Amino acid sequence: MHERLSFYIKRDSPLHRLNPLTKLTLIFGLILPAFLVPFYWTPHLLLIVVVFPLAFLGRVQREYFAASARLILPVAGFLFVMQALFIPGGETVLAKAWFLTLTKESLMFAFANAMRIMVMVSSFTLFMLTTHPSELMSDLTQRGLPGQFAYVIIATLQIIPQMQAKANTIIAAQRSRGLDTESSFARRIRALVPLVGPLVFGSLVEVEERAIAIEARGFTSSRPKTSLREIVDRPLDKGLRWFLLFVMLAALLSRIWFS
Amino acid sequence: MPIVKLHQVTYHYPLTQTPALQAIDLEIEEGEFVAIIGQNGAGKSTLCYTLAGFIPHFYKGELQGLVEVDGVSAQDSNLSDWVMKVGLVFQNPFNQISGAKYTVFEEVAFGLENSGVPRPEIIRRVEEVLQLTGIADLADRSPYSLSGGQQQRVALASILVMQPKVLVLDEPTSQMDPIGTREVFSVIRKMAEQGMTVVMAEHKMEWIAQFADRVIALWEGKILLEGKPHQVLTDERLLEKGFGVSRYTTTARLAIPRKLWQPERPLPVTLEEAVAGFSARLHSNAPEGQP
Repeated sequence: MHERLSFYIKRDSPLHRLNPLTKLTLIFGLILPAFLVPFYWTPHLLLIVVVFPLAFLGRVQREYFAASARLILPVAGFLFVMQALFIPGGETVLAKAWFLTLTKESLMFAFANAMRIMVMVSSFTLFMLTTHPSELMSDLTQRGLPGQFAYVIIATLQIIPQMQAKANTIIAAQRSRGLDTESSFARRIRALVPLVGPLVFGSLVEVEERAIAIEARGFTSSRPKTSLREIVDRPLDKGLRWFLLFVMLAALLSRIWFS
Repeated sequence: MPIVKLHQVTYHYPLTQTPALQAIDLEIEEGEFVAIIGQNGAGKSTLCYTLAGFIPHFYKGELQGLVEVDGVSAQDSNLSDWVMKVGLVFQNPFNQISGAKYTVFEEVAFGLENSGVPRPEIIRRVEEVLQLTGIADLADRSPYSLSGGQQQRVALASILVMQPKVLVLDEPTSQMDPIGTREVFSVIRKMAEQGMTVVMAEHKMEWIAQFADRVIALWEGKILLEGKPHQVLTDERLLEKGFGVSRYTTTARLAIPRKLWQPERPLPVTLEEAVAGFSARLHSNAPEGQP
């Protein structure tokens, strides 16, 4: 559990080799058209024609489809059912039961929305599977993002498994003193207090030592920072980014134009 | 010329009345290995933080007197320049991991990235220091997946890679098991042999006796004793003030009235010295005519 702190899958693929910023632009180059272009089948087409092939191009199709099945589909599915049943309006009634009405219009609207969510979450998933967090941060720092900002993001990503481990230790310690964490719901809620307290205050105390540790490595040095990772930014990346920018702009314009 | 110079240093933590350090005078020569002993609250950590620049730059409070390293006074310097000269390693190995890096190699490189060292030199220096600290085989592991002793060697490597002139260690092995302790001390010994100036606060007397050129005993923020390791570590006054003493010293002290230790022989601090002393006594005691 502690060995793997990110979703990143180390592989060699054209998608892995892209500059992190290009991939970041790609996310928005997919999301904006999916939400903005007024043509009904846009999100569906994007998913099948762009997102799925990208998963194969990045050689992470197995992990991507596994994540989709576990995480993305349930969310999109839930949204689809709720919207299909509760969005008012629509003339073509397909089915009616008690106070619920299913119309063709609400069904289509819900389906498109579910697809938009699929495109959005999928593009983020692909990004995280093919981009190492340090690589993204090194690249953004070199482009002028303040080091403190990058540190906060990376440290937050890393802190979750640490907090989990610490929480487990505290739970074990409090249970060995007789804290009841396994009976009724009300008792479990009450048991949270002696668990959360040490976790939060313990973490606050640790912050001071952590601050000393990174200061001891010259974190606040005013000298320009360098990076261990060499981040390539090929002409292909620059070209792609311009293209994606154009796509986003086109999506925005199409929205303004046709509505 | 001494590389570290403290003159009449007194320090109060914010909102406290009693000084944590009181009129400390200390000079450390280049390449010297100085050990600091003392009970909890005696000022060991405070002294370490002062040498490492975290007092007065990180902890506020009131610092009086002169703190000078390599001819520059702490008050005239800023923390990020100071840490390039004086490296600090402290107790808890877990909290010394930057939390921003995914592998040991990157973790060790963090300080060099911050100080703007070019990439080829970073790689060369990190590889070198990983060899030196004996953790080259851990380079691709996550720093969080390591044992305490391994993590502490990563912390040590992360500081050594910055090539400080003075290495300050605040009880670097207090949270280690015996194996972790040996791993960490073997690295420190190597650094000392290469001529690095080392200041170490430590409880483990036997290790101090083997390493240190000089021992300083702190008591209530003042220097109580100072001198050669054996002279300080076997001093009667340590007992009076309730310092921890090596069990070999205690054993020999108890043995003197029982005529099991020759009183003219200096008291031992390490196992080897105790063994040597007791066997010398045994042999001198051996009845005539026997080999």
